[in-house]
Amino acid sequence: MPKITIDSTEIEVEKGTTVIQAAEQIGIDIPRYCYHPGLSIVGVCRICLVEIERMPKLQVACYTPVADGMVVHTNNEKVQQARRAVLEFLLINHPLDCPVCDQAGECWLQNFYMQHGLYDSKMVEDKVKKQKALPIGPNVMLDSERCILCTRCVRFCDEITETHELGIFNRGDHTELLPYPGQELDNKYSGNTIDICPVGALTDKDFRFRTRVWYLTETPSVCPGCSTGCNINVHHNDHRPYKAGGIRVSRLKPRYNPDVNQWWMCDEGRYGFTQVDADSRIVAPQKKTRGDWQLLSWQDAIDEIATKIKGILKKHGADAFGVILSPQMTNEGLFAAKRFFQETLEVENIDFEVVAREKGYADDFLMKADKNPNSEGAKKIGLSAVDNSGLEVAQMLADAKDNRLKALYICHHNLEKGFKKEEVKEALSKVDLVIFQGTNQNSTSNLANYCLPSASFVEKDGTFTNFAGRVQEIHKAVEPLGESKPDWTIFRNLSKRLGKSMPYFEAGDVFNALAEEVDAFKGLSYEKIGEHGVLLNGHRASTEKEMGALVA
Amino acid sequence: MEFCKAAKTECDKIIAKYPEKRAAMLPVLYLAEKEFGHISPEVEKYVGKLLDVPPVKVHEVMTFYTLIAAKPRGKYHFQICRGLSCDLKGCVKIIDYLSEKLGLSSDETSDDLMYTFTPVECLAACETAPMMQLNEDYYGNLTKEKIDDILKENS
Ligand code: SF4
Ligand code: SF4
Ligand code: FES
Repeated sequence: MPKITIDSTEIEVEKGTTVIQAAEQIGIDIPRYCYHPGLSIVGVCRICLVEIERMPKLQVACYTPVADGMVVHTNNEKVQQARRAVLEFLLINHPLDCPVCDQAGECWLQNFYMQHGLYDSKMVEDKVKKQKALPIGPNVMLDSERCILCTRCVRFCDEITETHELGIFNRGDHTELLPYPGQELDNKYSGNTIDICPVGALTDKDFRFRTRVWYLTETPSVCPGCSTGCNINVHHNDHRPYKAGGIRVSRLKPRYNPDVNQWWMCDEGRYGFTQVDADSRIVAPQKKTRGDWQLLSWQDAIDEIATKIKGILKKHGADAFGVILSPQMTNEGLFAAKRFFQETLEVENIDFEVVAREKGYADDFLMKADKNPNSEGAKKIGLSAVDNSGLEVAQMLADAKDNRLKALYICHHNLEKGFKKEEVKEALSKVDLVIFQGTNQNSTSNLANYCLPSASFVEKDGTFTNFAGRVQEIHKAVEPLGESKPDWTIFRNLSKRLGKSMPYFEAGDVFNALAEEVDAFKGLSYEKIGEHGVLLNGHRASTEKEMGALVA
Repeated sequence: MEFCKAAKTECDKIIAKYPEKRAAMLPVLYLAEKEFGHISPEVEKYVGKLLDVPPVKVHEVMTFYTLIAAKPRGKYHFQICRGLSCDLKGCVKIIDYLSEKLGLSSDETSDDLMYTFTPVECLAACETAPMMQLNEDYYGNLTKEKIDDILKENS
C-alpha cells in the first residue's frame, strides 16, 4: 500500500485512493465543488488544487491517485493563492444574490469565500446576464447566473437516474446549465440535484423563500415513505415558528447511509411529509355523538373506551373483537399493541396488512411498492393474522358485515385504500364500537366512534424495520401536536386502565423489552442501534443485496 | 431522418477509427451538417443514436462549437473577419457594406436561404486583411468593388 505524506502527516492508504480521499482519512478537508463521492470524478472546478512535491504544477486532489512517497501540501501559500484565484474566477459573473438566495447559509461559494477567498473584487465590468427563476421541473428551480458549472447535477442525471435531462450548453461565459430543449427535469429523484448543487443555482420550489436555513434545526430520522427506509434529516423551524404559519417541518434531506440509500432519497419521500402539519391532524381524543365530534380529555377517553371494551368482551367474547394494526407504526407501537391486545385483552383477531388496491410505484433503485416503513417489523413481531390464528382484515370486515364483530380497533389505516368505499362503510356501520387511532383524519376515521390522536413520525422516538431487516431509529424533532401521543404510550395507558401495567417510560424501554421477547430482535438493544441501523437476526444481508441495483 | 447509403458508409468508417463511438462526435456532426444542412433536433437525436449517447450530449457539443450550424444556412455563407489585423486594415467599412448589400445583419440568413452573413474572429489569413471566407474559399484584400464582383459571381 502506498505511503504518502499530507501536510507532514504520514499515512498509508489503499492503492487507487485519490489525494482528496486520503486527506479525508486524516481529517483534512480539501475544498471541492465538482467532486462528489457518489458520482464520477471530472476535475472541472479546480478549487481542490494542492501542491505535490516534484510535480511542476498544482494538481487537482480529487482526480490524482496517490503514489508511494508522494508529499502533498494542501494549505501552503501557493495553494491558498490558487484557491483565491479560482474563487475569483467563479465569482466573476456570479450575481451575489445572497440576501434573496435560498442557499445562503449553506452555500459553498459563501463558505469558501470566507475560508479561502477574502480578496477584494477587481471586477468593474458588467456581469453576464442569464436566466433566473426558471422552473425546470416539478420540483426544481434554476437560477442560471448562480451556477458554477460543476456538472454535479448533470452527472446525477446521467449516472444515478440515467435519465439524461440536463446538459451544459454553449461556451465561454455564455456557458449555461439547462435541461435538454423540450425536456423537464422530471424524474423520481430530481430533488437530489438540489442537495448536491453546491450553490444556489438549483433550489427547491417547495422550500423557496420559506425560511433562512440558519433558523433550522436538524434531527436524524428515517423516511416513512416506503419500506426502504432511507435515512434522512428532518429540518424543523424551532427558532421562528411565528414566521412559518404553523408549518414546523420545513424540509427533509437525505442522510448518508452506505447500506441503505447512500446520499439519496426519492421525491415522493422528500415531499411526502406535509401531513405532519396538515389541517387534517387529529389533535385531541374525540368521540362521535349523534353525528358530531366532541373533544374529550385523555382521561375521559381512556375511561370510556376501557369501559366499553370491557363490556363488549364480557358480553360477546374476544372473538367479537378485531384489531387492525398498521405497518406505519413503529416497532415500539406495534409491540405495545401486541402486549395490550394479546395479553391484557386476550384478543386473537389481530392483523396489520391492508393490501393497497393501487400498486405503489417501485423501481430497482430505492423506491419500493410497499409504501410502509415497518411491514417487516410487524411481520417479525408476529402481527400477521396467520401468526395469531385470528382473522385477516378482509375477514374482519366480512364478519362485521354479518354482525359477528362487535368492536374494531383500527390504527392509522385508510381502509378505502384496500377495500371498496361502500364495503368499508357498510361493515363499520354494523360494529358497535369502532376506535380509530392515527395521526390524520381520513375516510376511515370519519366512520369511527372514537378517535385517538397519535404522534407523527417527527414527534416521537422509535424504530422501523426496513424491507431488508434493518432496524433504524427515528427521533423526536418537534413536540407532538396538540394532545397526540406515541402509539405505544396510548396502549400502555389503556393497558394500565384495564389492569395490566407496562413498565415503559421511553421508546427505548419498549424496544429493549421487544428485543428480549421476539426472536428476530434478540441480542439487540436500543442503545446499540446507532446512526446507520442494525440488521435483525437472520438478516445478514450483504450490502449489495440490500441495496439492489444501487451498487451494480 | 437517416443518412443516405454513401453517407452511412462514411459514418461507419469514421466511427471505426475511434476506440469509443462517442469520440467520433465531431467528424460525425460535420458529416451530418454536410448531409442535412444543419443540425436540427432530429439530427441531434439521430447522431445520438449512431454514437450511443443521449441527445443531450450531442446538444452540448453542438452548442459549444459555433462552427456547427444549429439553424439552416444559406447557399452562400459569408464569414467575414473582424479580427485585429482586419480591423486595422479597415474591415468595419467592408463589413457594413456587405451587410447592407445582403440586407442582413449579424448571424442572419435570407428568407430564400441564399445568403448567411456571419462576422467571425480571426481566420488566420492576416496577410490578406481585410478578408473573408465564402463557403470553402478565402477572399483577401477586400474592397467595396471586390465585394461587388464577388456578389455578382455568386448569385
Ligand atoms: S449561490 Fe451562494 S453566493 Fe450565490 S447568491 Fe446564493 S448564497 Fe449567495
Ligand atoms: S446547477 Fe449546481 S450542480 Fe448543476 S452544474 Fe450548476 S452549480 Fe453544479
Ligand atoms: S473538486 Fe477537484 S476539480 Fe473540482
